[in-house]
Amino acid sequence: MLVSTALLVPWVSGALLVVLDGRRRVVAWLAVASLAVSLAVLGVLAADVFTLGSREVVTGGWPAGVGIVLRADALAVTFAVLSVLVLLAAAAHEAIGGVRSRTFPGLVVLLAAGLVGLFVTADVFSFYVFFELAMTASYALAAYGGKQRQLRAALVFTAVNLLGSFIFVLSVAGAYHVTGTLAMEQVAERMLDVNPNAAILIAAGFFIAFCVKLGLFPFHFWLPTVYAGARPAVAAILSGAVANIGAYGLLRFGVGLFPEQLRLAGVTLVVLGAASIVYGGVLAIARGDTAEMLAYSAIGQVGYVLVAVGVGGPVGLTAAVLYSVINSLNKALLFLAAGIRGPLVAAAFAVGALSVAGVPPSAGFVGKLELFRTGIVAGSAALVVLLVAGSALSLVYMFQVYQRRFWRTEPSAVGVVSPLPQRLLTAVVALLVLTAGLWPEPLLALSSHAADILLAGAPG
Amino acid sequence: MILAFALAAAVLFGSGAYLLLKRDLIRMVAGIMLISQCAVVTIIASSLNRGQAAIAVAPGDAVSDPLPQALALTALVIGLATVALLLALVRRAIVVFRTAEQDELAETETEHQSGLERERQADREEVESDPDSEQEQENGSRTEENGQVR
Repeated sequence: MLVSTALLVPWVSGALLVVLDGRRRVVAWLAVASLAVSLAVLGVLAADVFTLGSREVVTGGWPAGVGIVLRADALAVTFAVLSVLVLLAAAAHEAIGGVRSRTFPGLVVLLAAGLVGLFVTADVFSFYVFFELAMTASYALAAYGGKQRQLRAALVFTAVNLLGSFIFVLSVAGAYHVTGTLAMEQVAERMLDVNPNAAILIAAGFFIAFCVKLGLFPFHFWLPTVYAGARPAVAAILSGAVANIGAYGLLRFGVGLFPEQLRLAGVTLVVLGAASIVYGGVLAIARGDTAEMLAYSAIGQVGYVLVAVGVGGPVGLTAAVLYSVINSLNKALLFLAAGIRGPLVAAAFAVGALSVAGVPPSAGFVGKLELFRTGIVAGSAALVVLLVAGSALSLVYMFQVYQRRFWRTEPSAVGVVSPLPQRLLTAVVALLVLTAGLWPEPLLALSSHAADILLAGAPG
Repeated sequence: MILAFALAAAVLFGSGAYLLLKRDLIRMVAGIMLISQCAVVTIIASSLNRGQAAIAVAPGDAVSDPLPQALALTALVIGLATVALLLALVRRAIVVFRTAEQDELAETETEHQSGLERERQADREEVESDPDSEQEQENGSRTEENGQVR
């Protein structure tokens, strides 16, 4: 029951809000309220899932196998809560500053519906449907602002990601052809008997589709233009919520459906992740502009997730889940802080910067710690060295930009100070990142629970 | 039959990818449309069997698999919606940029870059500029704040 409520609240309210004029304050705050309600429902659902185990609903009261199964397990609710939280912060940020397009509030709520739907669905094709719902909303959001740079960002984003989506559909068709089913559990079971060549081809299709979403190294080319060109709130949404699709997809499809292929490709994944970390880090240092630096940093940061998935096992997957969560919080915080000025902002930005670099007491430290454990479990000195180098790079680029932005000598050059509520909101997100670092047990327990569920569910 | 479908899908994807890489925005949209059709063809090909439509079937009759048909319909509708959105974006871009060429769109990016370079140069030389010109550089580098201030 809770599962359908969590899905229906943003869906219905989003569909209603999108027809209203979002430039009116009431509508913007209604959207924020609707996201808050969704977050509350998801919170209750998450508490249920952790105490009582996974929740399952079959839509329309059909027998399972005919109706679409929605299954809320630990991994799904973790990502759903995280994404809606980021969307809530971004929507509130814009609502305070004044929304400047009719559709923005409605689209953010619809994006929440799409994301929650794709996290809880247990059916490969309805995953695609929710995926498109979320992506369509984000294509329109990327153009928010309507200036030349935003339009160009939206065009690039749409063209590249549509290609990624169609590669995903091709893989879905392939999976149906070889297994004759679309339910994730059955696909996973029957995939074991499939001709290995066909299976690896299908797995590669899914992998490419999710890497395009995440912006991993060889598929990153669209990301800097888009993240730097979009407005700060939209960049926060894209990197903090929409990119979660990629991380979740890698975990759910990679570990859940194609464990055999994942083991086979483990080394490739680690190498690609390492390339991503180094490439993102080095290019981020070379960039002077805050938004562009953050965009390249995003490429580097998702590399860590891919490395952790590539290593696999309980430790690796825990690190992957934990780092995805922390990374989206960091990125949301940094993009929001980069868009505003005034007291408190520098502190919030510094917290985000420390978190990206992995300095205690920020949440990033816990994430990096788990990654180091992954490296040690994998028994690879090279991996540990790479992680240290990556962290050092991020420390350099973060504080380079911090210096450029906040240590300007001329205070008069800083321009108009942003409204206090907007700065307070950013400070609250920063506090959240700090709290997650000072009291990491819940987040750690959550991640390891999610990793256990994934490993238990995977056949073989 | 599978071979025919595979060939059709391959041709569609190939020509779609070729068009996608063109400079003209309209051709890019056409490329995406072709690729979306390739996905639909693949879905249909994923389960090819002869039989009655899967509604009120007499026992013993062969039934054609209804699932890919449903999937193909859904994929068609989603493809239609996304292409409509993309066309709207392209139209908006043509109105704003007065061109449908990717190159000329990329020029805004170059302008942004050179704006940053100017700012960096100013930093290096530690120009004690008056607030007005400083403000101008700010505007050049951060269009997003620029909008917010107004």
